[in-house]
Amino acid sequence: MSLTKNDRDEATEPVDQGVEEHIEGRGDDLLGRLRDTAVGKSIFRSPRRVTPRDRAAGHWSNFLLHIYPVKIRRKELAFRYSWYLGVVSTVLLGSLVASGVYLMFFYVPSPANAYTNIQTIQTDVPFGQYVRNVHRWSAHLMVLSVAAHMGRVFYRGAYKKPREFNWVIGVVLLLLTLLLSFTGYLLPWDQLSFWAVTVGSEMAGYVPFIGDQVKEVLLGGPTVDSSTLLRFYVLHVAVLPAMMIFLLMIHLWRWRKDSMFDLEMEDGDE
Amino acid sequence: MSDVEQGTPVELGRAPQNVEGKRVLGVVPGKPAAGERKVITRDDTVMVWPHLLVRHAVAAMATLVVVMVISVFFDAPLRDIANPQVTPNPEKAPWYFAALQELLSRFHPLVAGVLVPGAIVIGLIALPFIDRSRFIKPRHRKVAVTTFTTFMVIWIILTFVGFMFRGPNWGWVWPWQEWHGEL
Repeated sequence: MSLTKNDRDEATEPVDQGVEEHIEGRGDDLLGRLRDTAVGKSIFRSPRRVTPRDRAAGHWSNFLLHIYPVKIRRKELAFRYSWYLGVVSTVLLGSLVASGVYLMFFYVPSPANAYTNIQTIQTDVPFGQYVRNVHRWSAHLMVLSVAAHMGRVFYRGAYKKPREFNWVIGVVLLLLTLLLSFTGYLLPWDQLSFWAVTVGSEMAGYVPFIGDQVKEVLLGGPTVDSSTLLRFYVLHVAVLPAMMIFLLMIHLWRWRKDSMFDLEMEDGDE
Repeated sequence: MSDVEQGTPVELGRAPQNVEGKRVLGVVPGKPAAGERKVITRDDTVMVWPHLLVRHAVAAMATLVVVMVISVFFDAPLRDIANPQVTPNPEKAPWYFAALQELLSRFHPLVAGVLVPGAIVIGLIALPFIDRSRFIKPRHRKVAVTTFTTFMVIWIILTFVGFMFRGPNWGWVWPWQEWHGEL
């Protein structure tokens, strides 16, 4: 049993073996030599990459790699395991932050300015129309990818012990994604956004007993007006992104911490 | 034998025997034997660099290429400036709330606007604390998979109906005849 597995690995993974040998032999590729200089040694806390143990130490002591575990279960590499939807969602979040910050330079959240600002962005600002498109389509795609990520995690049974709490954080991240998308929807201040938010916020008014108060806190008044625009803007560019990034950090941290646990399932994965 | 507590090793009372090359010193009731327990070995794991990171880099670049291509060819919509006096017909929520809006057109607002979405969120949060079995294959947890799939399919259908099949006064339209979906 274990013999066949080893045989298969050697047959299918000659590249890995090659890398291992190469590093053990010399470790003198370009990056290796850069790491070996005085400057390199000051940057990398673990500059030697000779043995597999060194490579693990190098990973472990690298700030940029610290969100990843050093090793993962082999089956996680396969596309069908996750469809990489977590990566896709995170990359879309990055795309949204980058394009969103650019748009913030040209946008004032008041009914007198918002709509003309968007027109200016589309006509006069360098790459304005393109950046606005990137922001819009990334947002829609992120709603899809986060929802699909949740579905994939469900069917894989990956919400089970010890990952229950990370699933809960994921549910909150999905809600934050929807809220971010919804608050952003109002900002162009055109007929589409105004009435979509009017319809959407009417749902808040149906909460029993405190519906009107909830709606008033959300909109800053009984109807969508200038204070709604300001509120949605602050939520959209500050409050909700901060919450999302904070929870995403915990989400990824838990993913790393739990990445080796699948010992106690009574049926295998395959 | 039956009064032995779970987890207490049972003395075999004779010379150690060999099983699959290992000496059996005792048996712990309720725990799988050493040979059957799944233990992560070196062969089951790979280094994240380069194996996983290369794949993540490809997934990231593919995502960005898709976003770039869509953004080059399709412009984000911008209608006339907001006018509280002129209500468009139909009035549509963003597409991810289309299922809720469709429900609202059929049921009492308290049900469609509060109880259903509240129950969905609470149900999702409670899921890992309800389905606690130690099985992950879909065929070993039929109740959870059936429930989740049913809700998901209903939700997707309602989203399509609200997004594409509703026109003026929330009446039924065929999307290939009249298009009222807004992104």
